[in-house]
Order: sequence, then C-alpha cells, then structure tokens
Amino acid sequence: MARATSDVAVEVRGVGKRFGNLQVLADIDFSVATGTTVCILGPSGSGKSTLLRCINFLVRPDDGEVYLHGERVGMKNGTWMTERELCRYRVRMGMVFQHFNLWPHLTVLENVIEAPVHVLGRPRADTIEKARTLLDKVGLAEKQDVYPHTLSGGQKQRVAIARALATNPDVLLFDEPTSSLDPEIIGEVLSVMEGLSSEGMTMIVVTHEMSFAREAADSVIFMDAGRIVETAPPEAFFTRPATRRAQQFLQRYVR
Amino acid sequence: MNRDFLVVFAHYDQYLNGLWNTLWLSAATLVLASITGCILAALMLARPRAVRLPARWFVDAMRCVPFLLFAYLVYYGLPELSLQLDSWACGLLALVVYHTAYMAEIVRGAWTNLSREQIEAGRAFGFAGFPLFGRIILPQLFFASVPVIGNQSIYILKDTAFLMIITVPELTFAASAVQSTYFVPFASFVVAMLLYWLVTLGVEASVKRVEAAAEMRRG
Amino acid sequence: MADLPLLLQGALVTASVSLAAIVLGIPMGLALAIVRWQRIPVLSQVVAAYVSVIRATPAITLALLIFFGSPSIGIVLGATAAAALTLLINTSAFNCEIWRSALIDFPRDQLEAARAYGMSPLLRFRRIVFPQVWRTSLPALVNEMTLLIKASPALAVIGIVDLTRAASRIGAATYQPLPPFLAATVIYMLMVMLLVGAQRFVERLVRERFDLA
Repeated sequence: MARATSDVAVEVRGVGKRFGNLQVLADIDFSVATGTTVCILGPSGSGKSTLLRCINFLVRPDDGEVYLHGERVGMKNGTWMTERELCRYRVRMGMVFQHFNLWPHLTVLENVIEAPVHVLGRPRADTIEKARTLLDKVGLAEKQDVYPHTLSGGQKQRVAIARALATNPDVLLFDEPTSSLDPEIIGEVLSVMEGLSSEGMTMIVVTHEMSFAREAADSVIFMDAGRIVETAPPEAFFTRPATRRAQQFLQRYVR
Repeated sequence: MNRDFLVVFAHYDQYLNGLWNTLWLSAATLVLASITGCILAALMLARPRAVRLPARWFVDAMRCVPFLLFAYLVYYGLPELSLQLDSWACGLLALVVYHTAYMAEIVRGAWTNLSREQIEAGRAFGFAGFPLFGRIILPQLFFASVPVIGNQSIYILKDTAFLMIITVPELTFAASAVQSTYFVPFASFVVAMLLYWLVTLGVEASVKRVEAAAEMRRG
Repeated sequence: MADLPLLLQGALVTASVSLAAIVLGIPMGLALAIVRWQRIPVLSQVVAAYVSVIRATPAITLALLIFFGSPSIGIVLGATAAAALTLLINTSAFNCEIWRSALIDFPRDQLEAARAYGMSPLLRFRRIVFPQVWRTSLPALVNEMTLLIKASPALAVIGIVDLTRAASRIGAATYQPLPPFLAATVIYMLMVMLLVGAQRFVERLVRERFDLA
C-alpha cells in the first residue's frame, strides 16, 4: 500500500455521534495539517474523548466523514468497513490512553514490539532494535525487560508513547495522557510530548494541561457540549478568547 | 417420539411422586445439614486443637470423597455396626453427613469474612450477647451466605439422584422405572431433566430475591 | 489384598474416562464461552439454555439419557463412549461459566489499546486475552476437574466398572465392604491431590517466568 502524504493529515467533516437520546457530538469540522500539533480543550463531558475515538473509528460516528491523508476511514464503496479492514487504518494512527492500557503479561520491550511484529509483520530482530531506540528516546532504555506493574505512572505512559511510535504512525492521538498522573510526574511525560511535537510529529492531543497547549500546540480547538465552539492559535486563544464560553472556561483554569 | 412423550406424561403420577421425594430429601438435607454445619463450623473455630483439628479433618475428608462412595459406605457399612436402616434413612443420613461438611465450610467462610467494623459498632452502641448476635451478626451472616447456600442446595438436589442406585424412589429412579417398563428412554429422562431444571430455576430466582433485599438494605 | 488389581483396574477406568472428558471439556467450554462473550445471535441463546439445563442435571440422569436415549435419535454408543460423553457434556457446561466469567472481567482498557493498534479480533484474543485469561481461570478449572472425578461414580449405572463400582463389588463378594471403600477413598484423594499439585506447579512456573504481581 503506497503511503500518501499530503498537507492535510487528518480531516474531519460533519461528524456527529449519538448515544441513545444523547447527542454527544454534532457538526464537528476541522483539519490537522501534517507535522502540526492540535490540542482539543474543553470541560468534562464535552465529547473530546469520543471525538478522538471517532478519528480511529474505535467509535463509529453516526454522521460525517473522517479522512486520513486523503483516504476515507471507516467506509468503502458505500458500506461500513469491517473490524479487520479498519485495522489497516488504525495501525497508521498511534494512540496513547489516559490509563496507559499497557499489556501486563508482556515486558516493556514486548509491549512496544507487539503491534509492529504481529500487526504489520515486521521482522522481530529489526523491530527490537528500533524499539530499544524508542525506549531510549523516552528515557526508559534500562527498563526494557521489566513488567509494567513495576513501573510508576509516568514511566508507564512513556512506554505507552514508545509503543505508539513503534508502528511509525502518520498521526498520534493522545487521550488526556497526563490526567491519571501525580502532579510531580506530569512533567516527564509532557517533555516527551513536546519533543515529539517539535520534531514534526502530527499530533492530536486531548488534554487539561494548559501549559502544554500554550507551548506546543499549533492550533487549539475548544469544545463544549459536543460542538466545536472556537478554533484559534494558542496565542490568540489564551490571551484573547473570542467566545464567552471560552472565556468562562479559561477563567476557571488559568489563574 | 411424540408418542413416547405422551406415554411419559400419562405416568405423571410416578414423576410427581419421584419429584416430591427428591424435594423432600433435598429440603430435609438442607435444613439438617445447615444446623449440623453451624455446629461443626463452631467446632472448627474452637480454640482447643483437640476439637479444631478433627473437625477440620472431617471436612477435608468429605470434600475429597465422591458422594456415591460415601453413600455406599453408609449403606453397606452400617449393618456392620449392627445398625439396620432402610435405604431411605441411609440415603438421608449420607446426604446430611456429607453436606454438613460443605455447610460448615460455608458458614466458617462467612464468619471469618464478617465485617469487624460493624460488630465493633454494635458493641459500642451497647449490644452484647444474644441481641448482638441476633440483630447484628446473624443478619449479616445470612445475607452473605445466601448465594453460596443457594448454590450448595443445587448440589444437594443433584446428589439425591445418586440414591437411585440404592433404590430410593426419587425422581431419576421414577424416570428409570418408566423407561424400563415402557421403553421410552429419551422422553423419560428428558422430562426428568426438565423437572430438575425447573427446580433449579426456582432456587436461583429465590436467591436473587434475597440478594435484591440485601441490596436494598445495603444501599 | 488380592483384590488390589481389581481396584486399580477400576481406578484406571475412572482416570481414563475422566481424563478424556477433562482434556476435551476445557476447550469445549472455552468455545461455548466465546460464543456467549461475542454475543453471536441465536447461538448465544442456545448455549445459554444448554449450559443452564446441563448444570442442573445430575450426572446419573445425564448418563442414563445419553446411554439409553441416544439410539432413539439414531446414534449408537458403547458404554465407555457414553460415559466419556456424559462427563464431557457435564464439565463443558461448568467450564463455559468459568471461562465466561474470566472473559467478562477482562479489562476493557487492554482491548481498547489492542484495537487502537490495529489488532484483528483473532489476534487480540490470541495475543492479549487468552494468555491472561487462562491463568485467572486455572484454579476454578482445576476445582471443576475435582468435581468431575467426584461425579464419575455415576457412570456405574450404565455398566462402567469405575473405582467405586469395583470397590462395591469387592465388598459384596467378600462381605467386608469397609476395606475396599476406604482404599477407594484413598485413591480418589490421591487423584484430587495430584490435580491440585499439578495446578500449584503450573502456577509457580508461570509466576517465576512472568513475575506477575
């Protein structure tokens, strides 16, 4: 499969999602340029996590379309893709979860090489080499043979980031990556993320960490009650929020 | 095949008789084994080792032995001790003694898992002795054990079927009698199975009721 | 005791029939559990009903049904085959519930990560779910094996001379029931202890290799 890289990595058009009677997402339109970092902010329950999961189709949107480098995700020739067909797209998007979601029966190294070896079929020896490089990059080279339960939260999350990078993804999705961490440990994860961002990784980050959004984001999307309320560069968003909802939100978060 | 079922249904009285005996044996075992089980559990928790250890051995032994083997032991062994009991009494005795061990284990488990704090609170409020036991401890023991006892009663129900081998006229015996007289093997045993199933569903429904009541109290 | 060989023969019958049912019953239970776990339409409900009825059925009744009833539906089974089939059907129903409970309790987070990384359902099950689920199910599965062995004397009604039947025959012939029954009890105990010992061994092996908390 030829990998098409275009200027627009991810495009979301008119996405909506209902859970029963509740409209969780509506009229979601945005695009993410290749090599940029987009932060999605908003109060709890605004649908941020659901939106993220609509991008890699862990949740199937009821309305709208999602495109990865110009290719439509989720639907082919008018019919929904099967789980197996979706796998081809998901493996091109790495995901980092709030609760790390590491696999406890595998060592750190095995966690990182699992997807490249078993989903992409890459040779094990090469993958191990690359995995060691990635673990070194996130500062955990010496932990490669331990099991996840021995690690701290921050260490687990850094392993999770290495794992997400191992498949050479086009896009990295982050779902509140630091929300489960102790305040002192948040910094070590954020610095890894900032490093990735400045290296030109395409990232979509759902977060409450305003400092990260301010420093590393190229664009901020503010959501409330399932809709995008405001989209702006971080400078503009944090100093001169255009909408009242955004102003109220920032007042509560930024002292 | 349908004719077979008609034959079976025509002899519903035999089935009902067998079912009644099965239920009677099960209920009697449940009640008696619960009482003796509580006593045995108390012995298992006693302080002197001379009391505790034999109780423990008995429970462990019963849990290693197949019920039918134990039933044979009682049935063929009692005459050796000059005790002549008919098959009914032997069967009931075997059931009660065997399941006393399991009940004891259940009660002991519930006792050791009792919430210390609630008992402490009870004592702090001035409860002692019988009122403490009756109003604080017993309800908790009861609600904690009901699901497990419900489970055990299904085991008791199924063990009664073994007694057909020593000619106790319970449900499977009745089905077997109908089968051998009228040559309707499939139908006769399927009907018996359905009856066991219905009784089991009844037990499970009752357990759910009690659990719901416990939930309401616990909140 | 001159009757020891007879007793041991009975023990062999018990062990072999039980072993066949145990070995086949574990994967069969898993297959049934997966059907319910994946909520496959129609088949799920059939399995649920099957499990519910079989778990309520005494081993004796089931043995009689299978041995005497199978010709009525066109299948002819020898006593040994019927015996193994009885234990197999019985244990598969209980194993289904054991596996199912472990599958239901499996942390969704890990599955979500596996999905997000593009793992197909089969790959997810093989690499992530099964390696963990068999370890949590092991104690319950072994317990069910001991229950199977304790139910096996039921097979005497269809003519199988298992350990209990052998002991009872010896007792009837010698008018001394106690010694063979006690000897049989010891043999059953040994079988149970063997199973539990094997379980502890596997658990220790797993713990050393994987160092799981």
